[in-house]
Amino acid sequence: MSARPLYLDNAATTAVDPEVIAAMTACLGTDGSFENPSSAHPGGARARQLVEDARERIAALVNAQPGEIVFTSGATESNNLAILGSFDADPRSRKHFVTTRIEHHSVVDTAHALEARGVEVTRLDCDAKGVVTTGQVLDAITDATALVSVMHVNNEIGVIQDIEAIAQACASRDVRLHVDAAQSAGKIPLDLGGWGVDLCSLTAHKAHGPKGIGALYVAGGVTLAPQLHGGEQERGLRAGTLATHQIVGMGKTFELARPERDGPRLAKLRDRLWRGLGEIEGIRLNGCRERCAPHILNVCFAGIEGESLRLALADIAVSAGSACASDDPEPSHVLSSLGLSDALAQSSLRLSVGRFTEPADVDRAVERIGAEVARLRALADGAPAWCST
Amino acid sequence: MNYSSEVLQRFGLPQADGAFPDETEGVVRGEAEDRSLGIWIRFDVQLRDGLIRAVRFQLFGCPHAIAAASLICERLEGKPARALAGIDLQAVAGSLDLPVEKYGKLLRIEDALLACRQALGRSQDTSEARKSCDEDETKDS
Repeated sequence: MSARPLYLDNAATTAVDPEVIAAMTACLGTDGSFENPSSAHPGGARARQLVEDARERIAALVNAQPGEIVFTSGATESNNLAILGSFDADPRSRKHFVTTRIEHHSVVDTAHALEARGVEVTRLDCDAKGVVTTGQVLDAITDATALVSVMHVNNEIGVIQDIEAIAQACASRDVRLHVDAAQSAGKIPLDLGGWGVDLCSLTAHKAHGPKGIGALYVAGGVTLAPQLHGGEQERGLRAGTLATHQIVGMGKTFELARPERDGPRLAKLRDRLWRGLGEIEGIRLNGCRERCAPHILNVCFAGIEGESLRLALADIAVSAGSACASDDPEPSHVLSSLGLSDALAQSSLRLSVGRFTEPADVDRAVERIGAEVARLRALADGAPAWCST
Repeated sequence: MNYSSEVLQRFGLPQADGAFPDETEGVVRGEAEDRSLGIWIRFDVQLRDGLIRAVRFQLFGCPHAIAAASLICERLEGKPARALAGIDLQAVAGSLDLPVEKYGKLLRIEDALLACRQALGRSQDTSEARKSCDEDETKDS
């Protein structure tokens, strides 16, 4: 009997929890609440109630009001809506956007789109551990700044930014803050209401929910211009028939998530991984041990060629950089921002644990990675110094 | 990145990887590198009676380069020394179904073989010189 596949790519996406599958399945078919939640008939009202129940569950996990949750197709759409929608709705037509160099591509590319529209973009550097400071944010804000966007947990290196402090800084300058929390929801407690965040992107599939559904937290009083037109769903902010089964799935996902319980369990697995891999000579942690999300570990190996390492470990589901960029021969923009050479960035692996990861999976991964690193190092014995730096 | 079955097989279990111990008789060494392409390669070629008896390689590089080096080592064994300067790169690329963007690395592998050929030439010159010195000494005495 073959061992089950090693899946250590939970920061890319996760397996859907069976309870979530059951909740979603119950919405489909003639016996389910398949009706359009916008319909006036009783079936529509039942579907609408399911949507509102899900909205409440999601709001409860992030300390928000249900009316502050807008359903989208995922965090990418949420990021686009938050950023483009803020500039389109800005009453003072301000044209300055502050973000960081280590955001997800859905923010990076949206910033490029803003630049094409004449918006000035300030991209904050991070330090060698991936941290952006409140002082940097404050220094970057000008009278023309309409929005600051900083991700909570970096999707490649797992570094946690101090969103509460950054939110206070933005509030002190009367500038709106958007946070991409795709990686943190469900693993780290989110207190969006308490922190004073204005906009926050959420997704289900990183937390054992379905793909294709996400949400944007829009704090009370924050105005946005819709980016999709064709209906008055979601308070006119996001047109399109509500996908009841997806929304119910996300609601169940957030109901099942318990950051206080899941976070420490994930951190134990991640630490076990690091203890094992730390024995490998020439390994280096990318990011910050003290400020790392519980599920992500990013490491690089001196003297190992990245493409060979990835092929050698093809039987383990891990990512080089982020999953979205794994096929790209260019080094990850996040790892380059940390100051890593191209060679080290290419030899980096992101390993991420999840609800269904077992300690035995971690031990098998450590063994496999150790063996392949040793094999490739032996093959390159005598290589010049540039191969290791 | 897609890999042919030949590349996968040779990358997973390369033939002729490693090096001969220092001072092994009849061995010449040649290497080449290109940081911009991310490749370093070294060949150890063992010759006897003008024929290539065995070849070993060490390499930092991508799976295609490892597979190519392994295949070249295999093809060189038993050939005359001049084969070091005449490896058919098109045939290697074809056998492994290499993508065109990897051809630059093949050229560096060829450079390492040429370095072996040059090292062989130097060692033969030295042998000839030593031989003629020995002959001169014999005459003088």
